[in-house]
Amino acid sequence: MTTRATSERRRPPEQTRARHPDAEGFVERGGVRVFWERHGDGEPTLLLLPAWSIIHSRQWKAQVPYLARRYRVLTFDGRGNGRSDRPAGAGAYDDGQYVADALAVLDATGTRRAVLVGLSRGGRWAVELAAARPERVLGAALIDPALPFMAPLPREQGYPFEEELDSTEGWAKFNRHYWLREYRDFLEFFASQAFSEPHSTKQIEDMVGWGLETSPETLVATQLGAQPASREEVEAVLRRVRCPVLVVHGDGDRVRPHAVGAAVAELTGGALVTVEGGGHCPQARHPVRINLLLREFVESLGGMAR
Amino acid sequence: MTLTITAGREQTRARYPDEHGHVERDGVRLFWERYGDGEPTILLLPTWEIVHSRFWKGQIPYLARHTRVVTFDPRGNGRSDRPQGFEAYRRREFAADALAVLDAAGVDRAVVVTWCDMGEALILAAEHPERVAGLVFIGPSLRLDEPDHGQYPFDADPGTGEGWAKETRGYWLRDWPGYVEFFFAQCLTEPHSTKQIEDCVGWAGDTDMETILDGFRGWETKIIDPVEVAALCPRVRCPVLVIHGTEDAQVGPSVGAALADELGGRLVLLEGAGHAPHARDPVKVNQMVASFAGIGPAPAPRTWTRALRRPRRALYLSSPIGLGHARRDLAIAQELRALVPGLEIDWLAQDPVTRVLEAEGERIHPASAWLANESTHIERESAEHDLHAFQAIRRMDEILVANFMVFHDVVREQPYDLWVGDEAWELDYFLHENPEQKRAAYAWLTDFVGWLPMPDGGDREAFLTADYNAEMIEHIARFPRLRDRAVFVGNPDDIVADRFGPGLPPIREWVEGHYDFAGYVTGFDPAGVGDREELRRRLGYRPDEQVCVVTVGGSGVGGHLLRRVIAAYPEAGRLVPGLRMVVVAGPRIDPASLPVHDGLEVHAYVHGLYQHLAASDLAVVQGGLTTCMELTAAGRPFLYFPLAHHFEQNFHVHHRLRRYNAGRRMDFATATPEVIAAAIAQEIGRPVDYRPVETDGAARAARLLAELL
Repeated sequence: MTTRATSERRRPPEQTRARHPDAEGFVERGGVRVFWERHGDGEPTLLLLPAWSIIHSRQWKAQVPYLARRYRVLTFDGRGNGRSDRPAGAGAYDDGQYVADALAVLDATGTRRAVLVGLSRGGRWAVELAAARPERVLGAALIDPALPFMAPLPREQGYPFEEELDSTEGWAKFNRHYWLREYRDFLEFFASQAFSEPHSTKQIEDMVGWGLETSPETLVATQLGAQPASREEVEAVLRRVRCPVLVVHGDGDRVRPHAVGAAVAELTGGALVTVEGGGHCPQARHPVRINLLLREFVESLGGMAR
Repeated sequence: MTLTITAGREQTRARYPDEHGHVERDGVRLFWERYGDGEPTILLLPTWEIVHSRFWKGQIPYLARHTRVVTFDPRGNGRSDRPQGFEAYRRREFAADALAVLDAAGVDRAVVVTWCDMGEALILAAEHPERVAGLVFIGPSLRLDEPDHGQYPFDADPGTGEGWAKETRGYWLRDWPGYVEFFFAQCLTEPHSTKQIEDCVGWAGDTDMETILDGFRGWETKIIDPVEVAALCPRVRCPVLVIHGTEDAQVGPSVGAALADELGGRLVLLEGAGHAPHARDPVKVNQMVASFAGIGPAPAPRTWTRALRRPRRALYLSSPIGLGHARRDLAIAQELRALVPGLEIDWLAQDPVTRVLEAEGERIHPASAWLANESTHIERESAEHDLHAFQAIRRMDEILVANFMVFHDVVREQPYDLWVGDEAWELDYFLHENPEQKRAAYAWLTDFVGWLPMPDGGDREAFLTADYNAEMIEHIARFPRLRDRAVFVGNPDDIVADRFGPGLPPIREWVEGHYDFAGYVTGFDPAGVGDREELRRRLGYRPDEQVCVVTVGGSGVGGHLLRRVIAAYPEAGRLVPGLRMVVVAGPRIDPASLPVHDGLEVHAYVHGLYQHLAASDLAVVQGGLTTCMELTAAGRPFLYFPLAHHFEQNFHVHHRLRRYNAGRRMDFATATPEVIAAAIAQEIGRPVDYRPVETDGAARAARLLAELL
């Protein structure tokens, strides 16, 4: 409980929201409390999944007010950040935990089926949930999905995460020892890579701010919790997805290459929209386009097409 | 005025069916058509037999570009049979006909769209749910409260012939055309609906009063009973959309609203619209039907480029009738590129303009392939050196909607910074009718303003041209920011002295207040043509030859003039020693179809024709502005023959040429070959004293456009 009190105390004043939730709560699973919010009550329900816990549910701040005017929108803070608990140990942060948390939030809010929207690692969880529980998923919109194939990622090129490195330049900052020493510098570097588009200062500051709401120790645990998977395993999961899929991926994404999104679209039979010149978090940098794409995707699931 | 209904010649369609046929049911043959392919099928039902399937002409080309569309003529009109007896025209028969047509066309299931439904669509959806994927009602007549008895009992004498008293047996027998005209005026109550009303009256003329009377004993017998409506509604399982005009003078919007409510469907009210919005507001209705059926432009482009990374892009629509505008638009585009480095220009264009563009290596947008051809239509509308230009444009309404919808899809899939429309009527008209469709800067270019009546068109034509002008003036007054630039290709003195019509402003005053003037745009630099002697040598014309170039522009309308001038060749050759006559048939007239004479040269399309005109000793041409002004700029003598009934050539161009003191006007009706030969002999090689034509028009026009980029 000390952890939570600490994190609450460290939350900086939040900037004024465009919309506040109509309901909120915690769902507890295995002693870990996960904080969720509900906005709006239209049809269908959209579950906006968390991403890596370097950020939390405020990542969707540009989507929620628009989508909630039309649909029922659920968000939750991924374990390790926001108002959710920060359990200790990598085992608490494996991918299955986040998928199970998503299901728990659906249950806690009385949601039978939802359209899943996942960014980056959230895209992986959306795919796994859609493959495992097709009866709960109307469709999956995947933004810059982080499916663990097509390695190596830029950060994996010669910079082992757990070893002490000589260099602290560039992706060498993606290193547990560096995080523990220079956490803020790492956050600033990572955000600058995520938002590769010019004139992204506000989006970068937001990401750094959300990153500071958790601790380097917690972030190390989330990173160690991310599970590797073979290409065959990933492809098998993608082929099991039966619902309509939309993939949006920037061709200037320095964190998760565009080829990953293209392959995800191909293997799921989904539509691919390429954001030309777009970096890693288009929902923050290109919110209008993403909002309209999400609405078009949701509308395509309804009406006569269904 | 009593109107005689005569079944007119069908105007050029924007799209022709891919398949058609008759299907026979209980001895009644029904004519059906299929357009396009894809799922879902859209079945456009006929309404009652007062009109036929052409009534959907504003929808078919657009919908069929995205999916399969089936139409059929109702029993009693069009190319379907006219069975006898009241029972043959019961609504249940129409529903059964629809099923027979679906079977014949091999369609299991369709989205059904119906105008003024009197029961057939409801019966179809309620009793055959497996065949109906969705239902769109436009201005439905289906009441749930009490039957529509009409204002006067059909079989009684109302004692007057005014208003709805025309809807009685006695009046029909006395003045059927008067009733028909009244009826459709009540369907299309929006201002400026003359063309739509004329269309409907014409389709009513494709059947006869006896047939209509056979199936009509008052609306309370024509439309299914409210009790039956109420019984059928709960059986409808498919999605429903009801579209109803708030000013519908035939069936009030509350009828559509109640039906939508009863069916659990969606209601869309069109504020200010009458009973037939698919005819009067086709763009909006097309969008609604397409969105309901889940078809239309790709909802999400596959690539979206961040705004600041986009190159500047312009979409150029060059008036596709003939070749008149192609060269000037190219010249403007070239100047514009010089002013805006990196500018990318796409052309939405069609034959014959595309031939010029392709020869210059311009990028023609692939969607151009979807455009319905305007030159073909203009050629079909023409008679012997006679083209009623105003009516030809009016009768192009189906093509204009279809081509606007192509534009609509193009600009949804690809953002542009600027749209340029050089006399692109479809773009300018439908943008002002649907101003919410504007999503880029828009520049309009024209070389004339004002529809003018031909004297032999009488009061009716004077009324129609004034009505068209009035609608245009109202469009601009109401949406003054829609055209970001209006460019007049010419100078204020080029504008005719007429008014737009009774009670409307003088044309010149209004244009000076609403346009920028670019000066004339020849599309070439006379200085660039070089020394005339050198030019003649290069083109193979000898110094001792008297060269007469005969050309009729880029459309196929000029064949009769070419033949007449060719007939004058032997006599002209006697009068003019060393005469060399060069006939240019143009891109759309087959040179092999023209007579041959010894020494006469006949060519097809000639790229860079203006050089031959500049090198000639005389030209014989139609009254089109571009060619006449090329000759004026080059300072060559010429004979020009305005097309009969072509208001632009007879008034606007004639006025301008007089101002330049250029050319000798000829009258095709009285110009025998002998007259033409004599005129050739008098004019050939004559020194001229023309007002000079500016050479910076393209650069001035381009500067006006560049400011929008």
